[in-house]
Amino acid sequence: MDISVTLINGLNLAAIYGLMAIGISLLWSSVGMINMAHGATFAASGYAAWLVADATKALVLAAFGKGLLTTSLMAGITLTAGAGFGALFGALIYLLAFLPIHDKPNFPVRSLIVTLAINLATVQGLLWYFGPKQKNLPKIFGTGKLEFLGLSARYDQIGAILATAVILGLTLFWLKTSRKGLEIRAMMQNPEGAVLSGISVRWTALPVTMLTGALAGLAAILLSQTIFVSPTSGTMPLIKGLTIALLGGLGSVPGAVAGAIIIGFLEAIVGAIPFLGQRYVLFATFLFIIIVLIIRPRGLGGLLDEARK
Amino acid sequence: MARSGADVLKITGLTAGYGPLRVLHEIDFKVAEGERVGLVGLNGHGKTTLFRAISSLVGWQSGSILLNGAEVGGARSSGPGRRTPAIVRAGLAMTPQGDAIFPGLTVAQHLDCGAYTPKAWKDRKARRDMVFDIFPPLRKLEHALVGRLSGGERRMVSVGRALMVEARLYLIDEPSLGLAPKISASVIEALFALPQDGRALVIAEQNVALLSGRVDRMVGMHAGRIRGDVGHVSLH
Amino acid sequence: MTKFYEIGQRPSEIILHPDGDAPLHRRRLPFTRRHLLKWRSRTNPKSLQQERMLADKRPLWWALGLGALAITAPFLTNASLTIAAIFCMFAAINVLWTLVIGTAGIFSLATLAIVGIGAYASAGLNVYLGLPWPLMFVAGGVAGLIVGGFLALPSTRLDGLYYALLTMGFAEICRVFVQQLKALTAANGAINNVGSFIPEDWQLQRPGLLLGFAGAFVILLLALLIFRIVNSERLGMLLQTAREDEAFAEATGIDYRRARLMVFLISSTGLGVIGAFYAQFYGSISPSIFSLDQLMLLFAMIVIGGLGRSEGAVIGTAIVVLIDKGLLGLGPLRILLVAAIMLAVTLFAHNGLVGIREQFRGWRNRKKSEARARRTEKGGEVMPEEAIEFADKQEIYYRRFQKRLRDRLKALITPELIEEHRLRPLGQHSDALNRVLNHFRRGEVADKYAIMRQPDQFHAYKIVAFSGVRGAPPRLVDDKIYDDINQAYHAVFLLRVNDLMES
Repeated sequence: MDISVTLINGLNLAAIYGLMAIGISLLWSSVGMINMAHGATFAASGYAAWLVADATKALVLAAFGKGLLTTSLMAGITLTAGAGFGALFGALIYLLAFLPIHDKPNFPVRSLIVTLAINLATVQGLLWYFGPKQKNLPKIFGTGKLEFLGLSARYDQIGAILATAVILGLTLFWLKTSRKGLEIRAMMQNPEGAVLSGISVRWTALPVTMLTGALAGLAAILLSQTIFVSPTSGTMPLIKGLTIALLGGLGSVPGAVAGAIIIGFLEAIVGAIPFLGQRYVLFATFLFIIIVLIIRPRGLGGLLDEARK
Repeated sequence: MARSGADVLKITGLTAGYGPLRVLHEIDFKVAEGERVGLVGLNGHGKTTLFRAISSLVGWQSGSILLNGAEVGGARSSGPGRRTPAIVRAGLAMTPQGDAIFPGLTVAQHLDCGAYTPKAWKDRKARRDMVFDIFPPLRKLEHALVGRLSGGERRMVSVGRALMVEARLYLIDEPSLGLAPKISASVIEALFALPQDGRALVIAEQNVALLSGRVDRMVGMHAGRIRGDVGHVSLH
Repeated sequence: MTKFYEIGQRPSEIILHPDGDAPLHRRRLPFTRRHLLKWRSRTNPKSLQQERMLADKRPLWWALGLGALAITAPFLTNASLTIAAIFCMFAAINVLWTLVIGTAGIFSLATLAIVGIGAYASAGLNVYLGLPWPLMFVAGGVAGLIVGGFLALPSTRLDGLYYALLTMGFAEICRVFVQQLKALTAANGAINNVGSFIPEDWQLQRPGLLLGFAGAFVILLLALLIFRIVNSERLGMLLQTAREDEAFAEATGIDYRRARLMVFLISSTGLGVIGAFYAQFYGSISPSIFSLDQLMLLFAMIVIGGLGRSEGAVIGTAIVVLIDKGLLGLGPLRILLVAAIMLAVTLFAHNGLVGIREQFRGWRNRKKSEARARRTEKGGEVMPEEAIEFADKQEIYYRRFQKRLRDRLKALITPELIEEHRLRPLGQHSDALNRVLNHFRRGEVADKYAIMRQPDQFHAYKIVAFSGVRGAPPRLVDDKIYDDINQAYHAVFLLRVNDLMES
């Protein structure tokens, strides 16, 4: 029983952190930018989804009454709102942190600082506008528990895990097969060769930033099934995403997935050990990552594929 | 249609360089439709810079570059590479010096990168076949990673990428660089076997022997200037 | 009378005019071989007078700024005085951080963690073991040194971002660790009632605030002194080479890794001491010093000022502290304002506010050299923007004259003229050909050619070009053999015409 809870918790956390980490890793490897505003995207999309859900809830309830249809419709609305706003926020990051400085000196450091400033501004702006009170998103997967094979899991956990698997699968499939994905990978590997193949860095970077933004938005909706939306709710996922991206070796998507799974389980296990508890979770994570980084200075990435230097 | 007669490329007064360094000096250069031009000259005399200036990849440049009669040059002092995709789409296919290619893609994907126009993308399979006909060794390497290929095969991929669309002007920079003589001869051979219907080809090469007798015109480059094509007073 | 506009840098330079040929006599700082100000002696070529120019005006700006702060402090209100003291403290932290990020090139985010550990160690020793306050500074320094040594170990192995993450994680670990300490749980992880250099009954009184400010000011001065000693003396020089080319530095035997570690340790010790001061200044220390928000604010400070420069660290700190502590009425908008400034500075400046001047000069120089590169080709004439680089102005007029002369002669060269020379290289010539030939005769040796008779052959000539350098033999122009001297004359003429047309 205890183990099953740990397992599900671990997978749930891994799913959400994985979404964040892959966004960060992807953006780094394709456009060479560390997106510190990923947490801001997370929080802002959470709020956007909350606003939309709040506005439409009465309407949907009035139209369809209480039932499965309403729940699924609300789920659709919330997810679309979150992902859509995340993509919009990604476009904003593109406009501020990529477009003006991408061919100027010190781009990596400067874009990091710009995204950090965006993060700071967004968190404070949300705090100022919405206040520190937490908001509750509609339960898109309904409430309840499912038991099978002796495992018991809440709907939201199963939903988060499945949704993440689907989203990640779709994203990776898109990257592998579509033309845009080919262009993104070409740009990752050789920017000059890419422009000579008629691939515009500026127009390829936009879908990447929007995609990673949408991933952060989805992560926000999924995590808010378990916890609430608050102005600072993006900070922890950002730190987790960043640490996992680094643990996996920046720029390596398989590394990020592996890192997310490891960290997710580590957190769930540490949280479940009675004398350690939730307060030591971050402590244990960082300790683990420090040890890994000391042994493997470039993270796990090199083990799995060739990452951008 | 090209407005300036049959000139695919017409460069007038092109000056270009990197930072305070000036590499090209007032270059005037023309390439007509269907022409094969050899650009010869020693290392460091501006052949590569000329190609990079045509594709807007140098630090700064000024002067007019007409590609198919449309201006793609002009004065520019920042953002190298920003206009390149547009120039490429205007009908330029350039193979950069060395192996400026994508090591993590397979040969097929790499060739697909070259097919950037919607039409070329649609029938990319046929075009790949065409490239494989020109470079037969690539056919059985279709799904191999480019980074794992030998130097000659990589050069073939690099040139093949440029052949994936119907460009008007092909700039091939040092196709023989760093290759064994036999392989470089076969690469050049394949280049000259291409049909010349309306496209123009400029090959930069240090090894004059590889080109002599096969190009319509040989142009020398010396110290950032074109020599052998124009001159005020002929000496002998 | 015509009004003359002052151009160039000279009007803004500080120049002394000493008597006659009085020798330059600079005073050294005691116990060192350093001079206080960097005077340069030169003779003005125009007035032929001795003058002394201050080559580096930054010490004056520092003295002005810090002096103004010290003088105005006693007249400030209590609130402003506290802000000034906090500014000094944070500026000191940032200056030492700049030493790590800029001089040593280690992207460490553990700065506040080291300060916090120094503060906790010294405060703990003071409160629980009764350590007197003067020794707290020692305790803080030792704690900082130990932590710095621990953190420095992986710094050479890890890349920038990975190390940044590691240090960020270290700060988080510290925060959790402190909060979990059983002894401190009552106070939520804080240590209160720390002994201080400010006497007990002066706390929060005017004299106490003044003393607090004085202490912070001294700390800032000490931090700047450490920065000066480390950054521009031996260690800084070693690291400068490593910044430019690590492999080259290593090949010349510079152990830059060791130098980096040394800088890191020195700065950590300093940060530990500041930590002890921090605990004494507030009389307490709480885990919030390890928090990410505080770190981000500190990072904003050095980013706005400019990474890697001490003036940047101080200016950035001044701006952010003024907004954060001075405009308390704005609430969360303060941070929004800081973020907006950070955004604007990063988007428009390559390296913070202090880098703007340099960036502008770089931009101007680039434009200038581009324009020059485009234009000098048109005949070797001196362009106006180049004129200041010639000491001998005569040269400018000489070149202009030559250029115009060449232009006129170029216009004279026609196929008929060449034909005339071909028919009769020697003897009576037309006016135009005479002018051209006279110009060729007056040319410099390096531009000239000669006709060389082939040894053991009659009427067989080759053309050689003079090197123009004494001792360097002429070189053969080509292998062509002329069997008529007149043909050879004409060939030389054609070569010179070619050179003229191309100049």
